[in-house]
Amino acid sequence: MISFSCVKDTDFDQTDSLVLTPIVEVNLVEIQEPADTFLDDFGVEVLNISDLIVFDVFSSDFVDENLLKAELVYEVTNTLNKAFEFKMEFYDLSKTLQHTISFNIENSPTNKPLVSEHTEVFDTSSLEALKQSSTLDITITLMSSPTGSVLTTASKGMIALKSKGVFYLQLSE
Amino acid sequence: MRWLLFLGFFVSLQAQNKQILYGFKEVPQQILLNPGAQIDYKGYIGVPLLSHIHFNAGVTGFSAFDIFADDGRDFNQKIQDVVYDMDSKDFFGFNQQLDLFSAGFRFKSSSEKTFFISFGLYQESDVFFYFPKDYAVLALEGNYNNLNRRFNLGDLSVSAEVSSVFHVGINKKINSKWTVGLRGKIYSSIVQASSTENYGSFTTVEGTSNFLTHRIDLDMKLQTSGLSFATDSTATNQVDVLKSRLLLGGNLGVGIDVGFTHEPSPEWTIDASLQDLGFINYSKDVQNYEVNGYLEYEGIQSVFPPIASDQTAQEYWDEVNDDFEDLFKVDSTTTAYIKWRPLKLNTSVSYNFGKKNNKECNCLDKSDPTFQNRVGAHLFALKRPNHLQWALSAFYYRKLFKGLQLKTTYTVDTYSSKNVGLGMSAALGPVQFYIMADNLLDYQNVAKSQSVSLQLGFNYIFKNNED
Repeated sequence: MISFSCVKDTDFDQTDSLVLTPIVEVNLVEIQEPADTFLDDFGVEVLNISDLIVFDVFSSDFVDENLLKAELVYEVTNTLNKAFEFKMEFYDLSKTLQHTISFNIENSPTNKPLVSEHTEVFDTSSLEALKQSSTLDITITLMSSPTGSVLTTASKGMIALKSKGVFYLQLSE
Repeated sequence: MRWLLFLGFFVSLQAQNKQILYGFKEVPQQILLNPGAQIDYKGYIGVPLLSHIHFNAGVTGFSAFDIFADDGRDFNQKIQDVVYDMDSKDFFGFNQQLDLFSAGFRFKSSSEKTFFISFGLYQESDVFFYFPKDYAVLALEGNYNNLNRRFNLGDLSVSAEVSSVFHVGINKKINSKWTVGLRGKIYSSIVQASSTENYGSFTTVEGTSNFLTHRIDLDMKLQTSGLSFATDSTATNQVDVLKSRLLLGGNLGVGIDVGFTHEPSPEWTIDASLQDLGFINYSKDVQNYEVNGYLEYEGIQSVFPPIASDQTAQEYWDEVNDDFEDLFKVDSTTTAYIKWRPLKLNTSVSYNFGKKNNKECNCLDKSDPTFQNRVGAHLFALKRPNHLQWALSAFYYRKLFKGLQLKTTYTVDTYSSKNVGLGMSAALGPVQFYIMADNLLDYQNVAKSQSVSLQLGFNYIFKNNED
């Protein structure tokens, strides 16, 4: 109590401006699919395969209030002699499309690992779109290319996808 | 947040160290630090509620000034600097004691041997926590750029308690060289909460089938007792509950203090004491919370079915969700638990000199109470959950008049090397008053201080006849 009288050169209102800016990285989807996956019951190529996740993290209040910027990082290793288009669509609760990520994956004629990378940055308007999203729709579409082959049950190789999110947070009081 | 930073004001490195009071003969409350201390009066009665007011708070690793200095530097940069400067052994501590009543009297047994009995009831609050370094770094940086770094979740160690202590002590001067003492204590815990046995970690390492592998290992525990009264009774009931717990109606425990004073010669004194060798058994109104588990997360595996209709990634995600929910599921129990009291050691060596220059009067006086000066060294140690806290002091005691004594201390510990303390005891007739404070060098700007401790009180002293 004695002490209050002799506190000098300080400004205790500074706590109002406390801001934490951690960067968090988290794994997202992983995919490992052999040639079989792209064939129907008769061993004939399908047009595409798709998968859907109801993913309510992006649309949570925490993300809405604290997410400043996000990057989704993809790395695809293709050893199939087939080109693909990878597409991730972001839908909101009313099933309206908010954002699309898509990129092409080249075929590997000799079944050597062919690595391609893609980074999608979400800021300003795309960040707002991300924050609306509650469903992710993943589609891998088979593409024809000059050096590519037609997939059969005997086709060697697989397509493997890694992905992670890097989230730039801003936490303030 | 603000109150936490505010604590930076009143810091004490050696929370609970009472280096000025220890061995200060004229102040009766010194016998609570050493039941075997020397007692040179027939008795005392502490003025109720005013005989011992002790307040001590401290922080290591930073001062309020480091953060709140009005120097134009970015506030968040200052916070970062402090966080990186501190480690998980740095701590915040707060301790407060208030004597409700206390008294002591000399008795003569049938064999003409005398002994001194003292007793009292005091209330104590204690808050203590280590700086959770890894949590702070994780909050500042996140796991990005921290691949392979093991964030230690065991850095969380917090305890808080309000209790009352009823004590009775006996002190006996065996001969001119030895005084010994013993104090029995009954603790009544009013409210207690602690989370000191935490283990676990959060690590992000390079993954195999995905970029990363996140490993979360949790083994964390919060134990509480006495908290329910705050939620399920009316205000008057709450006061009644608190009153009854203050008067030994809380969670009970027992303990002892032991101590001695040895005077090999009139000039030399060696003394030592152990305080709070005891425990409290928390069995009433107990509520414990635990989280336990291990999870390795690599991501959501998308398993496209041959015919793309089933939504298997969804199932995978649901499973991941369930795993996380399981991991963080809080188990609640009401199992009784026992906690040891923080054990304290005090010991000192001192040399008396400078008798009053009055040879005619002095030649018959064997016990020689008239040394005017005393210098010595004092060691204090306290067992905290994760470490031993210590402090070493040099002191000088001076009797100015019969009714006015001063003591000054210079204290060194791991965190500070310039803690100067000053204490005074003044008597006006039988009424004795004392006040003691340390870290005086920092009083010019307390915001720069890491530790402040203050004790004061009033007693009514029954002096020896020869006085």
